[in-house]
Amino acid sequence: MRTEFKNRLDALESGLQEQGAVCLRALRGAIDALLSQDVELCDEVVAFDDEIDTRYHRIEKLVEETLALETPVAGDLRLVLAILHVSIHLERIGDQSVTIAKLTKLSARHEQHHDLVEGLREMGERCEEMLRIALDSLANRDVELARTLVDLDELVDNTNRRVVDKVLEMAASPGQQEWGMRMIVVARCLERVGDNAVDIGEQTAFLVTGEFHEFGDASH
Amino acid sequence: MDHDQLPETHARTNEGAPSIDASRLAEVSVGTNRDDLMTRDKVFSVGDLSVSYSGKLALRGVSLEVYKNTVTAFIGPSGCGKSTFIRCFNRMNDLVVGAKVDGSVQYHGKDLYERSVDPVEVRRRIGMVFQKPNPFPKSIYDNVAFGPRVLGQKQGLDELVESCLQRAALWDEVKNRLKEGALGLSGGQQQRLCIARALATSPDVLLMDEPASALDPIATAAIEDLMHDLKREYTIVVVTHNMQQAARVADMTAFFSVEVHEDGKGRNGILVEYDATSKMFTQPADKRTEDYVTGRFG
Repeated sequence: MRTEFKNRLDALESGLQEQGAVCLRALRGAIDALLSQDVELCDEVVAFDDEIDTRYHRIEKLVEETLALETPVAGDLRLVLAILHVSIHLERIGDQSVTIAKLTKLSARHEQHHDLVEGLREMGERCEEMLRIALDSLANRDVELARTLVDLDELVDNTNRRVVDKVLEMAASPGQQEWGMRMIVVARCLERVGDNAVDIGEQTAFLVTGEFHEFGDASH
Repeated sequence: MDHDQLPETHARTNEGAPSIDASRLAEVSVGTNRDDLMTRDKVFSVGDLSVSYSGKLALRGVSLEVYKNTVTAFIGPSGCGKSTFIRCFNRMNDLVVGAKVDGSVQYHGKDLYERSVDPVEVRRRIGMVFQKPNPFPKSIYDNVAFGPRVLGQKQGLDELVESCLQRAALWDEVKNRLKEGALGLSGGQQQRLCIARALATSPDVLLMDEPASALDPIATAAIEDLMHDLKREYTIVVVTHNMQQAARVADMTAFFSVEVHEDGKGRNGILVEYDATSKMFTQPADKRTEDYVTGRFG
């Protein structure tokens, strides 16, 4: 029954997963550009954001139409709402990738601090893993998998704190202050990507259980 | 999208933004809580009610309570017994030859089906509005005055007619042509006239069996607005095929479905789930309800 509606929901969900895949590419590009100081790649990441935004707007429009024309309720309504929320989180992840790329470009002429870059690499890889898990948990309606994001986010947060400590240590070196400050912002962007992944996991739980709860409390 | 280099934060300043009036926000319903409703007086308490027609079971074992000053909706597929059920609330099934009602329907704590209860008095207290507007072929005025006149009222009819027409949101449209025939009104106006007619006998409850299914969207919206207004003074029970109408107007919703007998030869209605409307349309507890409200069944 309601074949057209079912097709619409399927299209929304596959569109969201495609948006997720595009975001993963943007994030990977931003991290690679950071590690290799590749200015051209930075420009590509920035330009690629239009692709993410276009997909976000397409999903938003389809959600609007679905609400207006199909008046979904119960589990269907939760799915449509979750898709909209997740799409916004993905769009934000795209924006964080752009910020990382822009800061990398601005910092390209500065010498890098090896330990600090390693910390950012660790954060970036962890964030990629978290985003994959978040998208898989949604696709498979797997709340247990979604809940594993909390522990992974804690690891990202710990590394973020280490990065900040390193920059503070560098405060005595005038030549590295500017670079260090920019890298604090990069770390902050990655830390937010981790939070966005947890937010997506929370939408999985909402979709499956019908109850919305934050996985962790904000004091951590 | 803005890609400036500032990190995002959750916090946003509201400086310069219009202030939000929290009391107005609180007025916007985010779904009536069942626990709040259950503190209200019970108008009806139905216990293990079954109805059969000529020995054939139509509805089996329904128990639920209807609370004062609420709109309660009955939804479900054709043949699930929702119209049969609503007719038990004012003993309309008494008029059907071969109909048998088992179980109890308590109205303000009194058994409606007790021998001593006068069905005419029941129908005065518990009015009914039907699917198709059915005004008498009389004037607008006489339609509303009909019930009170039958009950012997001779004084104050003008005031009563005006008051009922106002409560039915029809007064402004008909006040200058009260002596004209009711059949000249539009379908939506006729249905509101029938509601005014039901109000004229000072009922406590209004039963509505598909009250808007024969009306256009504008007339339907007028009836739905009216239900919101009327529940301040009356308790309303409505049968509707239109699930979105139930979602819009009802505080509580009961979902009825059909069970097929083991021998595969017969079927009867059952109550599947009864809860606050907001719960029924967001997190129904029973999969059959979810399948029905999402359009996967029925």
